Amino acid sequence: MGIDWDRIEREFYQCNKCGLCLAACPVGKELLLEKYTPRGKIQLARFSRNGNLEISERLRDIFTECLLCGACTVTCPSGVSLTDLFVAMREVLTSTTGLPPNMKPAVEAIGESHNISNEDNSERDEWAEDLEELYNEVSGKDQAEVVYFVGCVASFFPMVQYIPQNVIKILDAAEVDFAVLGGKEWCCGFPLIGAGAPGDLTVVKEHNLDMVRSLGAKSVVFSCPSCYRTWREHYGPEFSLFHITEFIADLLEHGRLKLGGVEETVATYHDPCDLGRHGGVYDAPRKILQAIPGIVLKEMENNRARSTCCGGGGNLEMTDPALSRRITKKKIEETQATGADTLVTACQQCVRTIKGAVRREKINLNVFDITETVARALQV
Amino acid sequence: MLDEESKANLRNIVGPEWFLDSPEDIATYSYDAFLPEFVPDGVVVPDSAQEISQIMTLANEKKINIVPRGAGTNISGTAVARRRGVIMAFHRMNKILEIDVDNMCAVVQPGVVNADLQREVAKHGLMYPPDPASMFVSTIGGNVALNAGGPRGAKYGVTRDYLLGLEVVLPTGEIIRTGGKTLKNVTGYDLTRLFCGSEGTLGIITEIIVRLIPQPPAKATLQAVFSDLDDAAKTVSAIVASGIVPTTLELIDRVILDIIRDYGGAGFPSEAEALLLIEVDGETSAVEEQGRRIERFCKERGAIEVERAKDPQEAEKLWHARRTAFGAVASVRPNCIVEDATVPVKHLPAMIRKIVELAEKYQLKIGVLAHAGDGNLHPLIMTDIRDRAEMERVDKALDEMYEVALSMGGTLSGEHGIGIAKDRFITKELSPKAIEVMRGIKRVFDPNNILNPGSFL
Repeated sequence: MGIDWDRIEREFYQCNKCGLCLAACPVGKELLLEKYTPRGKIQLARFSRNGNLEISERLRDIFTECLLCGACTVTCPSGVSLTDLFVAMREVLTSTTGLPPNMKPAVEAIGESHNISNEDNSERDEWAEDLEELYNEVSGKDQAEVVYFVGCVASFFPMVQYIPQNVIKILDAAEVDFAVLGGKEWCCGFPLIGAGAPGDLTVVKEHNLDMVRSLGAKSVVFSCPSCYRTWREHYGPEFSLFHITEFIADLLEHGRLKLGGVEETVATYHDPCDLGRHGGVYDAPRKILQAIPGIVLKEMENNRARSTCCGGGGNLEMTDPALSRRITKKKIEETQATGADTLVTACQQCVRTIKGAVRREKINLNVFDITETVARALQV
Repeated sequence: MLDEESKANLRNIVGPEWFLDSPEDIATYSYDAFLPEFVPDGVVVPDSAQEISQIMTLANEKKINIVPRGAGTNISGTAVARRRGVIMAFHRMNKILEIDVDNMCAVVQPGVVNADLQREVAKHGLMYPPDPASMFVSTIGGNVALNAGGPRGAKYGVTRDYLLGLEVVLPTGEIIRTGGKTLKNVTGYDLTRLFCGSEGTLGIITEIIVRLIPQPPAKATLQAVFSDLDDAAKTVSAIVASGIVPTTLELIDRVILDIIRDYGGAGFPSEAEALLLIEVDGETSAVEEQGRRIERFCKERGAIEVERAKDPQEAEKLWHARRTAFGAVASVRPNCIVEDATVPVKHLPAMIRKIVELAEKYQLKIGVLAHAGDGNLHPLIMTDIRDRAEMERVDKALDEMYEVALSMGGTLSGEHGIGIAKDRFITKELSPKAIEVMRGIKRVFDPNNILNPGSFL
């Protein structure tokens, strides 16, 4: 891709140093020092570009202390695209100083095994063990209208393997002609961008595009907001791309999916950064939840574009797990302030981060991916 | 330069992780929200008045310059190390120590963010009125040091009006207390208010007692658009003369309205030359009545559009233009200088005209936002500090602007402070004797001139 210095310079010269981004940044609020704030990082980018600051591992480590959540970008009155600037700086830093040590295993795994967990990629379908009949049908197709792109986390992490299970049940119930790629699906490349190594994206992108082409599909649907975002931003316009919440909302609107009631629940919805701020999808998940009798939806103080990251963004969970956990704790406190007994979100990463913390801290809060809520309400 | 021994001493006082001198740390404490930057020799982040007392004793002995810095949102260059030295940051002293509902006051550390205090006291039905535009980021310590104002100022006043007492570490290291929790206190000179607005030159504020007031139960919000600036000005006069004291009386001029329109912020009639955003608060019945009267004043004085919000959602919509204004303006050019020359209320329209004239004369893009209720103007100069020729024209325009404001009986700065932004103009407003008195005060507190030296005095 090459580093777009013009772009980087345009962004940092547009910064007015007003500091309003400090109010939005979960990392800055925890680490306090100016260098960890969005405004501080803009200045560091400018100082290093102008030769007043050496590119060093220390500088790289400062830029890894960021969720890439985009809360600063939506707050910035001057319209600086801070997240783009930070991603570009990670590329500059990685290309000079090498990968952040904690990111190395994941990046290497993507190259070698084509997934973030360094598992044998043919085991991508282990989530489907209990759904063998349906899975065999949708993974054995040589032609389909829609491809469901499962993503690494939901494929390999047991805590969230119910998400793809639900998705295929829901698509099946709506009689969608869809297929999954199984072991032929490769990591979308999203972690590479956050690691500052986007050069390796081309290989995985070409592979995944070929696989979808080979099925003659027109659309790709995602349960992972980050895969969805990566495709939208880097894979070109060849296919129609949908997050599963958009897809389900559309099925409901056209009467192709019928949902019954669920047990009375006060729920709040957490907007995942890559789906909301970076994907612009705010209404679809809310429409779905409002279509299910029994669910009372209560919004958090910071919702939609102002939603606070769960702590799992920007590879921070890998580079600084302790900081990531502190941010998750704040998210849970905001959730609890709504009085909701259930947090619904639409991202396996958010579920993992928040549910992990809820379990560790023995907090009384249900945490679900929205596909679980829909699957429970399915009228088959 | 800060020698190694002093660095070791500072590390000893605050703990090794809270004295910072890495290139990344000093780079990120080289600025505030004003333009010039000065890389300091180090940054110290204390946790208590006792630590600060030790730091100041050391600094005074070794002649180390110390510059206190809150969130670095000021736009007058008051939190930069103009003559090198160490930045003192208050990130760790960020606790609300007490909300005393019975005595209607709160005790806070200097690093508490203004909006956080407002949120907490609101839970008790109380309000802390000063609301600078930076309130979601800026700290109470910084607000006190700069005597921050805000849109609610015309009715509720500024930071100074809500200060009851302080704990301060002097530049020589002693800790003193001023004022207390009582509303009335005439014992001795009013040091509390002397520190307020002193721009970090007299002492380090380590604890603040602020006065709180009950939250008003109701609000009315109106927006009126005028095709003639004079009509808007006459409306402002009519409102003020009627005895109604609005909490908000904001004026937006044509330049900014056009920018907001292009930015997609809101639509206004093409002939719009000024917009007034007006808000009153108080008891429900009074607010209703005042809202109706203000609507009439606007219509009688030629407003081409008047909207009165029926509910909080509609009120929020009316605020949209005002809230979008800064962002829209800031995105036009790389830099935006937010000026705050202030004139007596009745001269406001003449002052705005003068600014329009100066923009033409010096080929600059300048829009005007004004807290019209108190004559506090915010000319927004859209520029690029890398363009030297243009910056020279900016300086000339500012020179003239201050001359005019002062000739009308106004002031260089209504609420942003002098700092290094306007220090070269200070003799235009203050007599040599007045400056001498101020310098004398400074010497009493800070005999070695180590606290924020090179700032306005």
